[in-house]
Amino acid sequence: MTPGAVVRLLAVVAGLLLLDQTVGLDLRVAGAHPELMWLLPVGAALAGGIRVGAVVGFLAGMAVDLVLPTPMGLSALVGCLLGAGVGRVVAGADHDAWWVAPVAGAAGTAAAVMLYAVLGAVLGQEQMLRVDLGAVVAVVAVVNALAARPVCRIMAWALGPAAASGRRRRARARRLVRP
Amino acid sequence: MSRTPRSRRTVATVVVLVLVSLTVITVDQTGRTHDLTAGVRSVANDVFSPLRQAVDDVVRPLGDFFAGAVHYGALQRENENLRATVGRLDQQLAQRSFDVQQLRQLTTLEHLPFVGSLPTVPAQVTALDMSNFDADVAIDKGRDDGVTVGMPVVGSGGLVGVVVEASHTQATVQLVTDGQSRVGVTFGGRQASYATVAGEGPGQPLAALFVAPGTPLHRGEVMATNGLAGASFPPGIPVGRVASFSTPSGADQMTVRVDPAADLAHLTYVDVVQWQPTP
Repeated sequence: MTPGAVVRLLAVVAGLLLLDQTVGLDLRVAGAHPELMWLLPVGAALAGGIRVGAVVGFLAGMAVDLVLPTPMGLSALVGCLLGAGVGRVVAGADHDAWWVAPVAGAAGTAAAVMLYAVLGAVLGQEQMLRVDLGAVVAVVAVVNALAARPVCRIMAWALGPAAASGRRRRARARRLVRP
Repeated sequence: MSRTPRSRRTVATVVVLVLVSLTVITVDQTGRTHDLTAGVRSVANDVFSPLRQAVDDVVRPLGDFFAGAVHYGALQRENENLRATVGRLDQQLAQRSFDVQQLRQLTTLEHLPFVGSLPTVPAQVTALDMSNFDADVAIDKGRDDGVTVGMPVVGSGGLVGVVVEASHTQATVQLVTDGQSRVGVTFGGRQASYATVAGEGPGQPLAALFVAPGTPLHRGEVMATNGLAGASFPPGIPVGRVASFSTPSGADQMTVRVDPAADLAHLTYVDVVQWQPTP
């Protein structure tokens, strides 16, 4: 990753975290608010593959852990697994298809929220499973499905050459797979 | 099947990041690096809080617009009810502005009977329920104003929560409704009984634990902090009022639901009580 890409990436992480903690907190449905930060590893995985997704997920999760009173490292772990998982699942898919980003955004972030709650409960935060998890998952998944395409574009811009090389690799892999 | 070098590098990166995350979680949970993580979080919040406040000031109207759009149906019903209410009250009440309401809240905070002579720091709530999984609020006072971790926070009505994180300029308060919150309480007048009031999550009533079957109780009974030796709160702060109670057959304790004494849904100003538990 180039220094410019690192600066852009940090700016995107900070910007989305600010958006999450300002406008996002006002958008409450059934007591739950959106969690746009989970879209960063999804967008990074779609743009740059498993490795980039995992790194961006770790960074985004650590940023959340630093400003919220959540168990330190938990968001980083879930973000890393989310980025790697999405990168793995969509490895052979055509990323330019319009539905890939929204579906990956909704399904990936829904899985991340559930994993976060379960791991939190394992770490002694039992209240994470006592909240209305269905409402939280639904709100996060729907909002992230809608926001997935713009966030993925922003991530592709932020990653720059890393995203481009990921795209080239996947295109090469698809050509090899085709009969 | 052999892996390519790129594939091996990818697996290695993911494994290293997972291990780093697990290490951070483990050392944080064991409390060995609590000072370090608290310090890092404090610095992060010192940087993040002013940015959040600035962005909040700019985009809050936008958020209100979207919130209004999302809750359009409920807002319409509420609007109709409010119109009817306003019509009834119009001749009885003088105009009550938002400023007057806030002033009243502040005035009430100045005369909280249960705080007694303990020094307090008035603070404004800047963010509510920042995570979907916790019940917490951010306030605009931090260590520079004498607010430190462990201090009780009260509002008009009673106990709001406890400071769990404090940076130089802001602090995070864990509300009594948070699932991790536990408060030792007393109730019952002369024949004092003791219990632990536990949070059940944002917006949920509290639960009073360890109330023996047959303990005299009545609805509306006030449960206040007990202030026993080593307690986390000074004595006499109202925590909640009994909303319902029952004893399931065969149970060794009563099921008691408690409504928070403080109005946690409309927190604007709070008082941080400069009191620390004795170790």
